[in-house]
Amino acid sequence: MSSLPLPPGGPPHLFTLTVIAALFGGFAAIERKGALQLMLSRPIVLAPLLGWALGDAQGGLMLGVPLELLFLGGVNLGGNLPDNETLLAGAVTSMVVPAGLASGFGTEPVLAALGLALLAPLAVLGRRLEGASERRNGELAALALARAGRGDASAAGLNLSGLVLPFLSASAICALCVLLSPLLAAVRIRCPVRLALGLEGGWHVIWALAAATAIRAIRDPRAPLLAALGALAVAATALVVHLVSQ
Amino acid sequence: MSAGQAAALSARHRRVSPLALARVFWRSLFLQATWNPQGMQNLGFAYALSPALEELYPDPVRRAQAVHRHLEFFNCHPYLAAGIIGGAVELEERIAANAAPPGSVSQFKRALGPPFAAVGDGFFWLALRPAAALAAAVLEPLLGLGCVLVFLLLYNGVHLSARLWLFARGYQLGEGLIAEVGRAQVPTSTGLLKACGAVLAGALSARAVLLAGLPHRPWHALLVGCTIVAAVALLPRLRLWIALYIALGLGLALGSTLF
Repeated sequence: MSSLPLPPGGPPHLFTLTVIAALFGGFAAIERKGALQLMLSRPIVLAPLLGWALGDAQGGLMLGVPLELLFLGGVNLGGNLPDNETLLAGAVTSMVVPAGLASGFGTEPVLAALGLALLAPLAVLGRRLEGASERRNGELAALALARAGRGDASAAGLNLSGLVLPFLSASAICALCVLLSPLLAAVRIRCPVRLALGLEGGWHVIWALAAATAIRAIRDPRAPLLAALGALAVAATALVVHLVSQ
Repeated sequence: MSAGQAAALSARHRRVSPLALARVFWRSLFLQATWNPQGMQNLGFAYALSPALEELYPDPVRRAQAVHRHLEFFNCHPYLAAGIIGGAVELEERIAANAAPPGSVSQFKRALGPPFAAVGDGFFWLALRPAAALAAAVLEPLLGLGCVLVFLLLYNGVHLSARLWLFARGYQLGEGLIAEVGRAQVPTSTGLLKACGAVLAGALSARAVLLAGLPHRPWHALLVGCTIVAAVALLPRLRLWIALYIALGLGLALGSTLF
């Protein structure tokens, strides 16, 4: 551990960040579906908020915006579970921001691309965990029904127990990501310039994919045409600004 | 039933206190805490209604029966369910006063759940949330972290108002809520929000191309532009995480040699 780069405060700093990430990740996991649904768990909110708590809000925002766009079309309709954008955003922020602090590079495209490449499968894992949690909820609901049938009027109080499993699983994953962040920092420090340039290019292409996903997320046959109009308007404005500034 | 009869009947009912109503509304925010494939939001619904049932049924046996009847299957959009929860409280007041049969509340929930789910999914998940997120993303270069507040205010300004309004109107009107929601012009707003979202997504695409191309990096801009067009065409046939790795690989391969 001593040879690995750590955040400026050393091991105590790393463990403080671990606790912070665990709490934010856990609360985001329950806010996503089980409680409130004020969209605090969306990547565009969670990543900057968690980034702020870990020491780099701007870095969190840099991660959160493309992740939000990538998962804009994921909708939980009835029993259809989308990929878990909250777990991925929490995990990527928990790993990349502390790695940025430890490596001295800050949260930048190379680390972001590396972190996303490592952690992208968590979105699918999160969906499976959610499925498992819902099967457990089925048991809780059956228990409540049996208790109410026996005359127990407090049976509905079991409802909040359904929040425990998502909280614990997301907390553990986010905490683990912070603990593994020194490894990512070490990789970043040893990353050759050519590879770093490639990863920076990769981040640009991720942005392109995010923009395309956002267009697809608008489930309307007019969306591609309207998007083209929006793109033309921005391009024309940029051209005018460029010409005027010259 | 005329308005006078309804008022007279309602005056004879035991009414749920404002504090219990506030607790029901607060608990309605946890409707999906135990979402499950069999009963869906059944346990959350019973949990939300519990403070009202405690006041309406001092007898634990009758209260347990009321809890049991709300543990039946229930599924709706979590925000629009607030209206059904408000209406269910009003119906439970009548049931407690023996002015309505216990089955009436189940009929009410079954009748409103599916249409409200369709309206809520279309408006909140497929129109408002993408539009608010895209507006925030477009404003990010100008506002920085302020864009997060833009997203939360745009979304929750509508969402929380709708939830409160639906709960209050559901409690006041019961079944009359259907006509009230019908007058809210939700489909028109949904179409408008989707159109705004599409324009904003286009603006964001142009921004991605421009940023990639600066300063004097035409290959970056070309690659990003082509990726956007190709991804819009291919995404329905590709899983997102696969597309993500293809994008990373493409950027890695071309970025390290061309740029």
